Amino acid sequence: MSSNPSAPDAGDDAVGATDASDPPETGDVEVTPDAATSASAVRDRLDGVTDPELDTSIVELDYVDTIRIDAVDTDADAPTGADADSGNASDDVFVGFTLPTAWCSPAFAWMMAGDAREAVESLPTVARAEIELRDHMHEQEITRGINEGLPFEEAFPDADGGVESVRLELDRKARTARQHDATGALLDAGLTRDQVAGLTRDDLDFADAPADRVRVWVRDGTVAVEADAAPVEHYLEKAEATGVLDDEHSELFRTPEAEPFDGDDVDLVRKRTRLAGVNMGGQGTVCDALNEARHAEDRPPLSTFSG
Amino acid sequence: MYVTDEGDEVFVIDGHIHLWDASEENIVHEGGEQFIQCFYDYHTSFTPEERQWSMEEYRKYGTERMAEDLFGNAAVDMGIFQPTYLSEFYEDGFNTAEDNAELAEQYPERFVVNGTFDPRDGEEGIEYLEELNRAYDLQGVKLYTAEWRGDSKGWRLDSEASFEFLEKCSELGIENIHAHKGPTIRPLNRDAFDVADVDDAATSFPELNFVVEHVGLPRLDDFCWIAAQEPNVYGGLAVAAPMAVHRPRKFGEIMGELLFWLGEDRLLFGSDYALWNPDWLVETFMDAELTDEQRDEYGVELDLDTKRKILGENAAELYDIDIEEKKTQFRSDGVTDEFGLADHYADGTSPAPADD
Repeated sequence: MSSNPSAPDAGDDAVGATDASDPPETGDVEVTPDAATSASAVRDRLDGVTDPELDTSIVELDYVDTIRIDAVDTDADAPTGADADSGNASDDVFVGFTLPTAWCSPAFAWMMAGDAREAVESLPTVARAEIELRDHMHEQEITRGINEGLPFEEAFPDADGGVESVRLELDRKARTARQHDATGALLDAGLTRDQVAGLTRDDLDFADAPADRVRVWVRDGTVAVEADAAPVEHYLEKAEATGVLDDEHSELFRTPEAEPFDGDDVDLVRKRTRLAGVNMGGQGTVCDALNEARHAEDRPPLSTFSG
Repeated sequence: MYVTDEGDEVFVIDGHIHLWDASEENIVHEGGEQFIQCFYDYHTSFTPEERQWSMEEYRKYGTERMAEDLFGNAAVDMGIFQPTYLSEFYEDGFNTAEDNAELAEQYPERFVVNGTFDPRDGEEGIEYLEELNRAYDLQGVKLYTAEWRGDSKGWRLDSEASFEFLEKCSELGIENIHAHKGPTIRPLNRDAFDVADVDDAATSFPELNFVVEHVGLPRLDDFCWIAAQEPNVYGGLAVAAPMAVHRPRKFGEIMGELLFWLGEDRLLFGSDYALWNPDWLVETFMDAELTDEQRDEYGVELDLDTKRKILGENAAELYDIDIEEKKTQFRSDGVTDEFGLADHYADGTSPAPADD
């Protein structure tokens, strides 16, 4: 690859895009003609990366400015053996992204950069992904730390430990907000409050249901109710990530503190899960507004303090 | 005083104001520059374009402009100063009680000066709190738990050291504890504005009132849940209120949640001046409405009575301010003379004279 991540973007017009039918929704996209990786494949992977505070895709939030895909001369660069285990992991991918404010929590920025790298490198044709965080007060530490595979506390020697507890907390909130949509879909489908509170993972059947629907077995498995699958799947993703679905506790839904609840508590838990969504939406609004202010044409220059 | 088209009066106590100095000469650490830059982005994000300040004006505006912005241009009757020292970032502090008092001494009947404490200052900190209390007869303190101090990038309200200071507050009759719980910018990997520490402090000090500033956004969910269980926890609306300008629907949702979980007696308006100017903000807040859908969803009202409580009556309750007495007093005080407000407070402007 050109290996100059700080090159100005202005001239990065998409050239030789292998998937010309797919418009470059995420800013500049550049694909060398002999690359095996498509821009849309990279975008799809990045689409699965969320701003952990907003539980929204970084592609949807328009954080990704640049994607560059370069075929690497495998004869010269790639070590034989391990790296090539998936057949043709021969491309280098560069992803440049910018957050709504330069003061966005370094922990959140770190998570997004790390997740982006991992997501892109999960493509079988990608040998290496390089991520660049731009216009952030800690852009250097984060860009370097993520590309060198360092733990957070090594990239930030004055940090007080790692980022895992923050991620867990944000995941908990995302799980809670997603639960609101999932329980809403099930109540809409006609389940009673007691049934919603009593559901287990085994009561859900996606495989035999029509497309985009989930079959929910109630009354000891004697009756199936069909509901919209998407919110339920969306919830399961975070429920699994936060470990609330384990063998010890079979209940599908939980309070924000991960406790099971009964039918009488459904209304209260619904109100609390609604609140988690309103909170994320509120914060999204702030981020959105800051993003706009930051890109305003006449904004004074960002900090140049050097004292 | 804000007067509606129908002639209804709303006494406005701006519960969150500052007199700050972020001039380049006062900045001693990059964090100080980042801090004011971040504020400025908040300012331009939510301020109607024609009311925006320049960065230079914004760094340091002084007492005269502040008095005019609150009383001359806006319908503010009284203001509560909330200091933010940030001594590590600014040579003479960003917004200290002493700075705030400059204006309060000019118009003593119009302002409340709050103090502050930092438990990391130990015995010296207790002495400083006592000194502030002697000077300004404190009724409240503003606490910035994410403030840097040497290697420490913050402290918790429920720590042992903090409890010593809260005990001191209780002893001195400083009843209103304003904790800044806003967006995370620093430090690094920790959520310095996590609201969980308010819970234990509020339970342990039932005689004190805990006002969570910025309603914990973006931790509104945790904040509401704590406040729903702790009757002495309040929400300060600074930062939430400006959303009513560009995102009225989102603002309605947030108000719906707050009114549902806390009720109309535990919310305090604050412009966060000079982050935002109270002139357009009070107006926008008065114009804000919930949609029918939001009214159904939350089962609450954002009507004139509710707005009156949020804009002034609730703060008056916490700070022992007799609104009717103040109105009489304001017919002829320094502010009224200076900004020509005599008619504004003239007897009989109310549709029905107060008989209580």
